[in-house]
Amino acid sequence: MKKKGIGFYLRIYGKILAQDLKSKMSYRADFIISTIGMIFTNISGFVSFWILFKNFSSINGWSYYEMLFLYGFSLVSITPVQCLFDNNWSLRIYVYSGDFIKYCFRPINLFFYFQSEVFDIKGLGQLAFGIGTIVYSWSRIGLAVTPLAIIKLVVFLITASLIMIALQNAAAATCFWIQNSFYVLDLAFKFKDYARYPITIFSPVFRFIFTFVIPIAFIAYYPSLVILRPDAVPILSWLSPVIGVMFFYISYKIWMYGAMKYSGTGS
Amino acid sequence: MSSIIEIKNVSKEFKVLNRREGLKGSLMDLFSRDYKIVKAVDDISMTIEPGEIVGYLGPNGAGKSTTIKMMTGVLEPSSGEILVNGKIPYKNRTENAQQIGVVFGQRSQLWWALPLIESFKILKDIYMIPDSDYNNMLEFYKSLVDIDDLLHKPVRQMSLGQRTLSDILAAFLHNPAIVFLDEPTIGLDVSMKAKIRTLIKGLNKEKKTTVILTTHDMGDVDALCERIVIIDHGKMLYDNDIEHLKGFFGSYRTLKVRVDDDLKVESEIIQGEFEDLQVTSDDEWISILVDEDKIGVIDVFGTLQKTHKISDMQIEEISTEDVIKKIYEGGVK
Repeated sequence: MKKKGIGFYLRIYGKILAQDLKSKMSYRADFIISTIGMIFTNISGFVSFWILFKNFSSINGWSYYEMLFLYGFSLVSITPVQCLFDNNWSLRIYVYSGDFIKYCFRPINLFFYFQSEVFDIKGLGQLAFGIGTIVYSWSRIGLAVTPLAIIKLVVFLITASLIMIALQNAAAATCFWIQNSFYVLDLAFKFKDYARYPITIFSPVFRFIFTFVIPIAFIAYYPSLVILRPDAVPILSWLSPVIGVMFFYISYKIWMYGAMKYSGTGS
Repeated sequence: MSSIIEIKNVSKEFKVLNRREGLKGSLMDLFSRDYKIVKAVDDISMTIEPGEIVGYLGPNGAGKSTTIKMMTGVLEPSSGEILVNGKIPYKNRTENAQQIGVVFGQRSQLWWALPLIESFKILKDIYMIPDSDYNNMLEFYKSLVDIDDLLHKPVRQMSLGQRTLSDILAAFLHNPAIVFLDEPTIGLDVSMKAKIRTLIKGLNKEKKTTVILTTHDMGDVDALCERIVIIDHGKMLYDNDIEHLKGFFGSYRTLKVRVDDDLKVESEIIQGEFEDLQVTSDDEWISILVDEDKIGVIDVFGTLQKTHKISDMQIEEISTEDVIKKIYEGGVK
């Protein structure tokens, strides 16, 4: 048997994605309504952010535009988890009903096969929104646009996404051990809201938790320091790509471990 | 030729929580847990040769699905050895998946939103099926059943029968050495059952695919299987040719009679007259199971005729269904 490398998986993903988009487009009303819904969700999130900052011109030494940058950064970094790993939300249902077994009989990576089944196109609107916010705040802060800065931005956005994905994977995988992982998953997903704020506004206890226990500070705060405060980058910021990859790998292992010991329900 | 599946002294145990009753019981379960060990599969051995269609039968909860899950590599046996095409399934799940096809009745493995042909194309990539093999297989499918209507229909819009048919087609697509079919005809109408049987038979004949079939439908068994394996409570009860099975009950025949009076009442009267025989009735017939080693069917009929007004009669050989029912009920050891 030939070895199945990244090329193999990318080609399969591309095919599934193309087919999936085609079939989603055919449900026009569903597509339009959910897109509008996503736009409103983003706008409302943005408005509450704006109201907050009209009243406080800065928080703990963070200016309005810096906060806006952080906000945009967190929006972009949670896009991959929403677009590509949305099936994690359904995992508990598959596991509970026994339908998860259908993923166990294909000669490809189980995690990949499961996640590839759903691509949530609505996340793309959020991506555009987030990128817009980053570009706008970037120019208002007056940061230089250099190739190095762009590379840094991209690398750290990927890092942040990996951490968000890792959090969600681990939370979703709990359903292999407990019946209903919804609350765990929901909790993990709500934490992303805290990721928008500079960690320095929290008390030391939460600072510790958000850095080392539930590492949401790596979703926006630590990575964006590299761009916003290039003179005083803490070591944790530079470490965040490593931490991102590590967390993703650990969450993948947890997920796979749970999936491999899954035995299905009676039939 | 060497055998394709070897199962040696395989057992599978599950740890099951002894649940207490009621709300109070549930609360107690939270604090003190009391597990018991359940043997879902108990010391089973069998070997299956390439190209066989084996009917794997047993009442609900007998351990059939557990055995299949072990053969497909989803479950690891608690003890014993399983070799599928020379590989240990749970240790080589991915390689094993490449050489088998699986259909779990009523749980579709196809992409819900996609038309069947698109699912096929994705499967073609996943299993790395060469173009020529893929096209030949599609042609062969078309020669067996009419699939033109199905190919462009999204799976979610299909009827249960169409979906099952599609799942079976998908399971055979990469020309696997073995296909496991877990209750493939459950809930289907007569014509769809016939279609599915034709398909399985045709594929087995042409591609020499080994098929392991679990079913509760004796029609499937009669149409497809030459060999059957029966398990109950995790233990193997029977493993042999289907003909041999009928031989067990070769001397049994069913005498069916019709009378003008109320069948239920009459059958009770007849039961009273022949205490050794098993008498049952349905809407049309009174059936009497006769062991011809002890008493001839004609003798029974003669006796009946003296006391009852019989309007019609039939003599039937014992059916597979009756035989298997007898085995489930402990008639054969």
